Amino acid sequence: MREVINEEVSVVSYFSARRRLSLPHIISWRNREYAVGKIGFHHTIRTGETLHHIFELTDGDQQLWMRLNLDTSNLHWTLEVVSDGEAD
Amino acid sequence: MERLLKEKQKGKRAPKPEAPPAVAIVVDAKRRHDVKTPASNYRDLVTLPVNQNQPLIMHIDLNSCFSTIEQQANPLIRHKPVAVAAYTRDSGIVLAASYEAKSMGIKLGTPVREARQICPGIIVLMPDPPKYREAHSRFKEILTEYTSDVVPKSIDEFVMDFHGSNAVQKGRNMEDIGREIKQQIRERMGEYVSVNVGIGTNRFLAKLAAGLHKPDGLDTITCHNLEDVYKSQDLLALPGINRRFKARLLAAGISTPYEMYQASGRYLRDFVFFSKLGFMWHQRLRGWEVDNVEWGTKTIGHQYALEHRTTDREEIKRLLMKLCEKTGRRLRRHGYIAHGINLSLRYAGPTAAERMAGSVNEAPTDEYGRPVKVRTGGWNGWGHYSANASYWQESQKVKHPLYATQEIYRAAEAVLQRARFVDKVSQISVHVFNLQACDPEQLGLFDAEKEQQRALAQAADDVNDRYGEFSVVPAIMADMDKTILDRIAFGNVRDIS
Repeated sequence: MREVINEEVSVVSYFSARRRLSLPHIISWRNREYAVGKIGFHHTIRTGETLHHIFELTDGDQQLWMRLNLDTSNLHWTLEVVSDGEAD
Repeated sequence: MERLLKEKQKGKRAPKPEAPPAVAIVVDAKRRHDVKTPASNYRDLVTLPVNQNQPLIMHIDLNSCFSTIEQQANPLIRHKPVAVAAYTRDSGIVLAASYEAKSMGIKLGTPVREARQICPGIIVLMPDPPKYREAHSRFKEILTEYTSDVVPKSIDEFVMDFHGSNAVQKGRNMEDIGREIKQQIRERMGEYVSVNVGIGTNRFLAKLAAGLHKPDGLDTITCHNLEDVYKSQDLLALPGINRRFKARLLAAGISTPYEMYQASGRYLRDFVFFSKLGFMWHQRLRGWEVDNVEWGTKTIGHQYALEHRTTDREEIKRLLMKLCEKTGRRLRRHGYIAHGINLSLRYAGPTAAERMAGSVNEAPTDEYGRPVKVRTGGWNGWGHYSANASYWQESQKVKHPLYATQEIYRAAEAVLQRARFVDKVSQISVHVFNLQACDPEQLGLFDAEKEQQRALAQAADDVNDRYGEFSVVPAIMADMDKTILDRIAFGNVRDIS
């Protein structure tokens, strides 16, 4: 089931100079921390001139899928949607 | 059939061709190639044998594009039946089904209600066009590393021409290149993304080869296995042959791709396609390239399937305005003005109960019950209802070119005034045509107001470019923020990037 959340969340991210990659690492949402397991897809969208990075990923236990949005105008992270991978 | 050809050569008007037996085509195949070579280039090529050159055209398509990308993005829905639909409600239509869903009979065009009946556990998702566009760009980026001649045919299909490419000059095998591309796509787009690769001497054969072993196939069609491939396929498996063409071929006694391949170009022209398309098919089937053509932009437009079907004219006008705004944005971005507008409405089909109760208005018919083509007012306007009253459309050429959204909307609204709502409207589409580059444009002496309108449209575009689509909108579009969503048109690649 998919659920729209649209809440700002705390995120620890890291940048690997060797792999030239910047990725979210830990997400803190509703007093719980989720280690990022697998990043399924990363893409960008533009709202006017503002660039957003969208990360679609699962937690370390492969139980929860999340869609994270990084707004590059203020570097705020928003958790947009979560899903358990089952039908609605 | 020979008699018909001779009569045509003598200039007699041949009677409507009877369907010759399929066997006759096979028996007469050798003689058919002896038909005199006509003057034009197409006809010169008719007598050419099968193309025996090295196959250097590669067709690549992504398997179940939208659903595969969704499954790549969300590992929790992999190996499960997934459908991407225009709307997730029961009234939505499936746009793409995963292979798991396809194996249950769910395919493009299946209503979501039916998909849920077939597979109660199916995961139905809304499309995410920016994600698909990004995948398309990444896909293209990988392919251009192998040859500079990469042509996107749709959001999930590319044609690569390796003539003169470095890879071929180094003597690399095309199938090896295909395998390497598949590997690169897995590494850089995601491990769940797989593609079909087809190799042939022309685009048609490359596409046919790509469809031979789905998913994740890699096949080459050469002059050596061409006939075997045709013998193993159905007519509908040939790219470009739809049910209508199949019916024509059957009527002409051609029931398999092999028989079509054996028929002469002249026969295909005179008894199947009734145009030079017959010769083109003759060449295409023999591996000669006839599809390397870039078509210019003829029309620009948008269509919208209504979530809530309605006969409310004011509601339809509001949707029309938004479609005109999107059309206007693209028209201006491409630097065109238009000299004509087309509006079409699709009606929701009445239920069986409504039909029995006779509560549905039918399209106007003549005394024999046939649909009437309605001549409408205005100069150069025409419109008609379809045979079963399922749609209405009208085109109108305009004296003053269309550029600003307001101009497009006024023209579309004038056309809408003449529409009769015979049922609830389920789909609206607006297109502008007769396009012309807008610079330099000669303005009339009294065109100051028009100039102001265009400057206003340009200013609104600038604001929307900076702050996002629909930041500034005409008053009629107030509070319509989420209506008419971003969509990707099938087959249209002009505005993908």
